[in-house]
Amino acid sequence: MIAYNSQSLDNLYIQEQIEMAKGADCITAEEYNAVITAHPVDLYTPNPYMRIGIFILTVVILMFSFGFFCLLSMSGGEGAFTFLCFLFGGGSYGLAEYMVREKRHYKSGADAALIWGAGIFLLSALGIATNGDAPVWVWSFVALLLSVFFVMRFADVSMSVVAHLSFLGLIFSGCEKLGAIAKLVVPFAVMLASAGIYFLSVKLIAVHTYRHYKKCLQMLQVCALITLYLAGNYFVVREVGNEMFRLDLQPGQDIPGGWFFWILTVTLPLIYIYTGIRKKDRILICTGLFLIAGIVYTIRYYHSVAPLEVAMTLGGLMMVGVAYALIRYLKTPRHGFTEASSDEKHAMESLQIESLVIAQTMSHAATPRPDQFELGGGSGGGGGASGDY
Amino acid sequence: MDIDLFEQLQKEGTISAASAEKVRTITASRLFSVHWELKTILYLGVLLLSGGLGILIYKNIDTIGHQVILLAIALACGGCFYYSFRHKLPFSRTKVPAPNSFFDYILLLGCLLLVTFITYLQVQYNVFGTRYGAATFIPMLVLFFSAYYFDHLGILSMAITNLAAWMGVTVTPLQLLTNNDFSSYTLIYTGLVLGALLIITALLSHRLQFKAHFSFTYSNFGTHVFLIANLAGMFAAYDGPYGLWFLLLVVATIFFYSQAMKQHSFYFVLIITLYAYIGLSFIVVRLLMNAGSEGGIYAGLLYFIMSGIGAILLLINVNKKLKTA
Repeated sequence: MIAYNSQSLDNLYIQEQIEMAKGADCITAEEYNAVITAHPVDLYTPNPYMRIGIFILTVVILMFSFGFFCLLSMSGGEGAFTFLCFLFGGGSYGLAEYMVREKRHYKSGADAALIWGAGIFLLSALGIATNGDAPVWVWSFVALLLSVFFVMRFADVSMSVVAHLSFLGLIFSGCEKLGAIAKLVVPFAVMLASAGIYFLSVKLIAVHTYRHYKKCLQMLQVCALITLYLAGNYFVVREVGNEMFRLDLQPGQDIPGGWFFWILTVTLPLIYIYTGIRKKDRILICTGLFLIAGIVYTIRYYHSVAPLEVAMTLGGLMMVGVAYALIRYLKTPRHGFTEASSDEKHAMESLQIESLVIAQTMSHAATPRPDQFELGGGSGGGGGASGDY
Repeated sequence: MDIDLFEQLQKEGTISAASAEKVRTITASRLFSVHWELKTILYLGVLLLSGGLGILIYKNIDTIGHQVILLAIALACGGCFYYSFRHKLPFSRTKVPAPNSFFDYILLLGCLLLVTFITYLQVQYNVFGTRYGAATFIPMLVLFFSAYYFDHLGILSMAITNLAAWMGVTVTPLQLLTNNDFSSYTLIYTGLVLGALLIITALLSHRLQFKAHFSFTYSNFGTHVFLIANLAGMFAAYDGPYGLWFLLLVVATIFFYSQAMKQHSFYFVLIITLYAYIGLSFIVVRLLMNAGSEGGIYAGLLYFIMSGIGAILLLINVNKKLKTA
């Protein structure tokens, strides 16, 4: 099913592993050279930055060629436009196949741009052909078909996100048809589907046959964990329910079974983190940490425990304290955990992303504009930081 | 590392039993690193703490609690710097690693609080006078000093944004394009000067071997600021001498490109190519609009298709050159 030569992908994996072994001084230079020559990789993969450039430029080419043909077929009316979209969708897909099979492109930027182009053109053709009033389930179904196909064929990580979301969209629109009971069923249906996807991808990632889809399956795990949480989150259930099913809730009014969703809201991220630590699963730990922001946001939205700045100060103090305690605790590795950075090169270091993030988020916090507080200090000056929580 | 794979390689005879054993021991004793997770928590903590305290002062400006908060900030700031001075490794002209991951963020918190404190004193009591933009100048000095003295790239980036703010340009990465009024020539010229200044500093850091690892940060900000100011100058001179600005762009591109090739930097090659591509496209579109016929539109569309393909081929070529070099 996969468009790439399976042997080439295996060799690529072997080369990556042997590179790591060489970095850790486990093998000799002769062994390294022997393995590299025994497992040659004929895939074309440019440097990640070049990949970004090639992606952008391919998008430019696609857009302007589309514009060119639109101008040529302007007299043809709507039918011609639909045909053109179909043509470009099919053409982009064909070109992607050509790039992968003949030119041996693998994560070159051009492949991703062409796959996305194919998906968007085909969906636009559907939209124009149905005058834009196709029901949601049709959209979700077509998007699901396309994205699953692209994932299977090109092992594209971003398409696995689309596949997951369109699958949930399909379930959501299916539940809507149930009528009055829908608002009760939807959260549970989405949670069940997310949990199913999560456990399925955990199972599949260990299967040898699906080894080339490892990154897609990891991405699916992250998405599934997040949607599982969102579907059970009190804020999402209450506000989305209110919006979609016109419950007409007043501020302060509870939803049926509200306590159940409150429990999910608060405990789910903690369960993720706990299980992640037990199983040494980075995906669970990081998703759990990220979703703590969801707990804080949800609680603060309904119950103002303290003014924002006090909450920020106390929360910040607590986080610095927790980090300090953990760094002290893990100075000598315990239970297989360490606070030292691993030998593997981290993407954060190569571009000094850390320093850019600091410059982006902190330069405003430090220097409030004078005009804001000469008015008697009504508005806070450190607005740069308040967006986070 | 994948033990099964190395056992397979050993069976094939490409690696020796001793090497496979080494891989096995290293993988078995491998620890789970939570380094970046802890750093992220620290970062968010410092962000919230400095932001929260910053708001607290200004919200309570007319109350008695005010002095208490100021005192708390001063104490916290002093504490942070005390910790930093006690734990820092001796100063050196080359890269000095942080003694631990906590150090970096405590120092950062100290600097942020100090800047908050200075800004407050300046605005409330006008301690440093109003000349020369003292409100941003003093924090800038503090930040540059801390960045060099303690060797901290994050603080250096903040110092550079502060320097730019002092000169009147916003260079915070995400606000660079939105917060600046690029139709004003003062801003464009300031941007050019600032960009050139940063690039010269980058070259000097490298040449004099004084904190040479800072040169990436300098040239990163410098290249973006210079090229954006240059493009803005070209757009602003829409009806004027845009040709001259294009000439400047060509010269700058050639210079930056040779630097990037010298440093083997894929990143700089990419951004320079994209900026130059925007500039070239502007000139082509502008000239085609002068022609003003319907054929011009077709020619423009064809230009983008062909030039896009050309630029991709260029990137692929440079990629090959940098890889083999």
